[in-house]
Amino acid sequence: MSTQVATCPECAADVPFEGDVLLHEIVQCPECGVELEVVGLDPIALDLAPEVEEDWGE
Amino acid sequence: MDEIALLQGLVAIPSPSGQEAEAVAWLVEQMGALGFHAHVDEAGNAVGVLGTGPRQVLLLGHIDTVPGGPRPEIRDGRLYGRGAVDAKGPLAAFVTAVAELGPVEGWQFVVVGAVEEEAATSRGARHVARHYRPAFCIVGEPSGWDAITVGYKGRLLLDYECRQPTAHTAGPGRAVAEHAVNYWNAIVAYVERFNRGRQGAFHQLQPSLRHIETRREGNEDVVRATFAFRLPPGLAPTTLKRDLQALNPNGGRLAFRGAEPAFVADRRTPLTRAFLHAIRRVGGRPRFKVKTGTSDMNVVGPAWECPIVAYGPGDSRLDHTPDEHVELDEYRRGIAVLRAALEHLVSARAGRPEPAKATCR
Repeated sequence: MSTQVATCPECAADVPFEGDVLLHEIVQCPECGVELEVVGLDPIALDLAPEVEEDWGE
Repeated sequence: MDEIALLQGLVAIPSPSGQEAEAVAWLVEQMGALGFHAHVDEAGNAVGVLGTGPRQVLLLGHIDTVPGGPRPEIRDGRLYGRGAVDAKGPLAAFVTAVAELGPVEGWQFVVVGAVEEEAATSRGARHVARHYRPAFCIVGEPSGWDAITVGYKGRLLLDYECRQPTAHTAGPGRAVAEHAVNYWNAIVAYVERFNRGRQGAFHQLQPSLRHIETRREGNEDVVRATFAFRLPPGLAPTTLKRDLQALNPNGGRLAFRGAEPAFVADRRTPLTRAFLHAIRRVGGRPRFKVKTGTSDMNVVGPAWECPIVAYGPGDSRLDHTPDEHVELDEYRRGIAVLRAALEHLVSARAGRPEPAKATCR
């Protein structure tokens, strides 16, 4: 099984991927722990995943 | 009928909780005209079905509203009226997006306009929870076109009543109202202790004093109060009930209702991926939200344990206000996101479960 590596946009650490990578899946940087979203596949590109905001209603 | 006329027509029919029948009948007729197999179910919900499955996406909106609201009209690019945001806008967006997408082999889309979401009964959603077992669920509530709601707080309502024989106000006894005030003060102190070290409203217990009154009934003075609680994740309604019973020092009668635990959905699912894709495709930068209120996600989320989000156009700060309205551009973008998300979800690759990652949690 091939391993691909992308770069964490927060801490520049290597983020390794094994097997299938899906667009818009959310992963966690093994170094800094930040959540990342896969925004490109060839090559794998990562962006910070959306943060969770508080809102009210309903 | 276009998407604006659909929402305009739905908003024009008042449908406060328990009085949804006219709006339900109208929506069933419109869904039928748009190609759905549409009917009114045993709970009184409007149901539209497109496709035969076997995989099912259930889009659970609600058709009831709170009373009041502005006069229904379109003005300055905005559609005003009760329900425009909460939640006829999201419901009409569901109907439009599914109708635009059309039947997809192997999939069934079920759009539900549930009754009594705004009541503590959630009668429509409870019926749906018992009768369906979807692969994916989208709850129709206003998140804003570029945001996805992934969690709601829980809720508990408490009706309190205390009685005592009438007495002269110059006497040594305490007025009956003071018992309720003392109980409320004990609750506030309990909540302050509970919330110590908890950051953010979503993770805190929030109490509110909804109602209090005193009356003289025959030879008794009576105080009645209603307390409401918004529960954070991890605090079960049964635990809070037990603690509230222990705080009740004067033997007041306690009646609990509307208990719902908080619910937080998994953010790493094919459904979430589909929405992240769709919002970016329509030109937005996606956001996740958790809400301090409750919705039908609290009812069906624990029952189905399937990937679930809440989504819909509109600004929830306008929920229940005299100024409730949705921007028409926001509404159209919401429909575009929904359609793109459904397209992505039913594509062969995207509908698979998230792959297990050896190196990334």
